[in-house]
Amino acid sequence: MVRFLIFLVFSAWAIISAIGVVTFTNPIYVILWLLSSLIAVAGIFFVAGAELVGALQLLIYAVAIAVFYVFVLTAVPWEKAVRKDPHYRTEGVLSLPLVLLLYLEMAVVFLLGVVASPEGKFREAIAKIGNAEVVGSVLFTKYFFAFEVVSLVLLIGMIGAVLIGRKESQTYEDDTG
Amino acid sequence: MKTIPVEAYFVVSMILFGLGVLGLIARRNLITVLMSLELALNAVNVAFVGADAHMGLVEGQIFALFIIALAAVEAAVGLGIIIAIFRYRYVDSTDEITDMRG
Repeated sequence: MVRFLIFLVFSAWAIISAIGVVTFTNPIYVILWLLSSLIAVAGIFFVAGAELVGALQLLIYAVAIAVFYVFVLTAVPWEKAVRKDPHYRTEGVLSLPLVLLLYLEMAVVFLLGVVASPEGKFREAIAKIGNAEVVGSVLFTKYFFAFEVVSLVLLIGMIGAVLIGRKESQTYEDDTG
Repeated sequence: MKTIPVEAYFVVSMILFGLGVLGLIARRNLITVLMSLELALNAVNVAFVGADAHMGLVEGQIFALFIIALAAVEAAVGLGIIIAIFRYRYVDSTDEITDMRG
């Protein structure tokens, strides 16, 4: 019961922070709300018993990616951005029924999945030797090829980011007109 | 582990994902659009881990790790593209990039 209360606290924190991400205008406040939401989601992971994913959420998301966003925010001047309206208001209101339809579809699919979900087979092993060990043993045996592919994707993404973001000697003029 | 129903995880995941999609549509600034995308990816992670805790598996946590790695790649490449767009065109709003309009 205490567990469920902690889960509710973290969920309310995450949802309030997500509303802040969508609604606030200043990009600095938006990144702070996003950081708050990421920490709350890490708390949800810890409550669910996934310590490894929670720790990596804190390390990779809440530290590395958030700091990266802050660096990019410092690299882009915001005088013009602050002057304009930060939301497409009519598009947002018009897309609200579609988002609600998406909610409905997700609810149906999730409830069907809950009905069809089997009972756990690793639960005894997880209780005996700990969660992170089970995750590691399954990751490095059954999903080893996917793990290597992810490392390759990381390498390609790093090369692509360096190639895209580097400063070139000439700038391209707007020749579309 | 059984004290939290799996529907609670799914409700939280749905609300976060819907807010992320809404931000993805309604935001004007390029970097806040990417932040909303991160929010939607996190919502999917919540659903994976919640289903995992319900079923007693570890596959969902492994896929959550993959999603975190791919989100890092996506942030790096997306922010590089944003910096390149700003450097070459001096725009930071999504309605000013109309080069590919037919």
